[in-house]
Amino acid sequence: MTVTTDLGPDEAAASAAEPAATPTATPSAKPSASVLSCRDLRKSFGSREAVRGVSFEIAPGETYGLLGPNGAGKTTTISMACGILYRDAGEVVVAGRPLDVGSTEAKAAIGLVPQDLAIYPDLNARENLAFFGRLYGMGGRTLATRIDEVLEVVDLTDRAKDRTEHYSGGMKRRLNIAVGLLHRPRLLVLDEPTVGVDPQSRNAILTSVEALSAQGMGILYTTHYMEEAERLCDRVGIIDEGRIIAEGTRAELVALVGGEDKVSLTASGNLHTAAEALGGIDGVQGVTVHGGGLDLLVHGARRLLPGLLEAASRDGVSIRSVEVVEPDLEAVFLHLTGKALRD
Amino acid sequence: MRAALVIAGRILRQRLRDRSAIIFAVVTPLGLALAFSMLIPNEFSSFHTSFVVVDQDGGHVAKILTDDVLGAIVDAGVADVQTGTTEAAAAESVRAGEAGAAILIPAGFTAAIETGKPAQVTILGGEFAVSLEVARSVVSRFASDVGAAQLMIATTAATGGTVDATTISQAQAAVAQPGPIAVTDTATEQFQANLATFYGAAMAIMFVFFATQYGSLALLSDRETGTMPRLLAAPVRPASIIFGASLAGLALGLVSMTVLWIATTLFVHASWGSPPLVALLILAAVVAAMGISTLVATLARTPRQAGGLNAIVALSLAAIGGVFIPLSQAPEGMVMVSQITPHYWFLRGINTLAASTSGLGDILPSILVLVGMGLVLGGIGLARARRALVA
Repeated sequence: MTVTTDLGPDEAAASAAEPAATPTATPSAKPSASVLSCRDLRKSFGSREAVRGVSFEIAPGETYGLLGPNGAGKTTTISMACGILYRDAGEVVVAGRPLDVGSTEAKAAIGLVPQDLAIYPDLNARENLAFFGRLYGMGGRTLATRIDEVLEVVDLTDRAKDRTEHYSGGMKRRLNIAVGLLHRPRLLVLDEPTVGVDPQSRNAILTSVEALSAQGMGILYTTHYMEEAERLCDRVGIIDEGRIIAEGTRAELVALVGGEDKVSLTASGNLHTAAEALGGIDGVQGVTVHGGGLDLLVHGARRLLPGLLEAASRDGVSIRSVEVVEPDLEAVFLHLTGKALRD
Repeated sequence: MRAALVIAGRILRQRLRDRSAIIFAVVTPLGLALAFSMLIPNEFSSFHTSFVVVDQDGGHVAKILTDDVLGAIVDAGVADVQTGTTEAAAAESVRAGEAGAAILIPAGFTAAIETGKPAQVTILGGEFAVSLEVARSVVSRFASDVGAAQLMIATTAATGGTVDATTISQAQAAVAQPGPIAVTDTATEQFQANLATFYGAAMAIMFVFFATQYGSLALLSDRETGTMPRLLAAPVRPASIIFGASLAGLALGLVSMTVLWIATTLFVHASWGSPPLVALLILAAVVAAMGISTLVATLARTPRQAGGLNAIVALSLAAIGGVFIPLSQAPEGMVMVSQITPHYWFLRGINTLAASTSGLGDILPSILVLVGMGLVLGGIGLARARRALVA
């Protein structure tokens, strides 16, 4: 699946004019000219506080991930951000316009791809797209042309007149995304779009999100898959129990953990001599020799790796395999909450 | 408004495509209306019976009963009168269903009347209770007239007047003539819709609940299938989403009732009344049904639950409201209770329209009650639905 979507001249200009945001690992990061700004969102269901003061902003062209386990408050947060749900407190501004449940102008800038398939099974793809397009005020030849475009984008042109109840799961997911893109939104909100999707369709969806971001669309992406957040998101907000407990780029979040990378060399030869030499390299924090090779703790494994391999070879060590284990967002989440993402 | 129309159009397209609305809202009620109107004897709307008369007297007073009084009923097309020879043969004729009732005039009947002695006419009834009652009424009235004539003659004699052949002839003529005071049963005149009309209208008001429910069911379905978040995220007010669903229910309800109106008029000669007034009454009934369906749907969590609940409410209200049995045959208490249902007010309006002289003023109470029910109950339902959408 390849993705091309045209932005209007305003959006393109805004996207080009705004430099990439430079967030930090604190919730106070505020990209300028944000396409979405959420401040202190709160929502309770009965006595249960589902969202407790969530704030974040997304710049045009930025992909922001809300990463957290099931039940962390991701869907409730985006429901308030999209005006689907009344909030108890807080403020949402979309493309410069305040948003509430009844705000039609702000909502027109949002394309929502809900976690559940939000398409009508007894209508075909074209009818689904036409219905939602009309809700966004589209019509006539403009709508027909745009439907053709998005069907092409999600590779469903050939099946456009088939009822969607006869589609495969992946096709339904693609149409679900197509509906969200139909009206050329400035902000695309994807709520766990890859849940229950086969690997091939999942990869196609991730590729399309990358393409949309590259074209200047602001993207809010919720997931509990750490790999997706790491691949797609410029910044990530880690959410747990209704709060964003950390926010920043992947590197910034990993830095919060303060850990080193682990480089494991499966090797033979004069391992102790090599260990001494490797321990002297700047950035190497420690070297352990074991029966099968060497384990090194380093800062910046990717940067140091060529030098490490060269030094080991110079000392007569024969290397059969290399494994680099870097701290990831899973480790960050574990570090911050004491539990795994998939708990 | 545009968004509401778009949503209504989508719901109608889906319902027409799965044919459920056509089956529940048009085919089933139409079939039942036709079946009822064909299977049930039309005794209430165009009454006709036959009597067998055994005149063992043959006197002139007996002849007044057989020729003048019963003759008037024959002329009115209410009954045929056959002459029987014996009481046993007449009784057998009634038992066999060949006659609705038998009227037996004993020998010496005229003589007894003329001498002021008690006289007796016997009536034998069969399985048709209405025929027996008609015969009893006719003969009772004749007996009253005869009594009045006897009183006139006795009074003439007591006051010193001459009771001659002329006086007796005048008394006999008075008995043979229609009564001077005509009692008109206004209630009967008002409720004169024939069976085809009654059952057509009854099925229409009962099944319109199944048509209007599709609007509110669509909202529940959107919640269940996950499309509601996308609708709410669109630049559309929640009220427009609910209004669109209501419009779809309104359209389906109007189509359902209108099809029944036209079909029963064309195929079974139902006579609903003045088309503009019937149209107004139908619109009011659909508003009432939509209001109730909307409220009922808010009490359910799933479309299936709502459908079941709506069916229970629709059938219960139909039973109370006189859809299955005309309220003219129900106890007084039942008639009182039935007034809480839209069915009562709709059928009352239709029955009123069946009188050719009825105008808007005559059905205005029905229209006001129906629209009032729809607005109040529907208003509560819509408020509950809106709160449930974005709670």
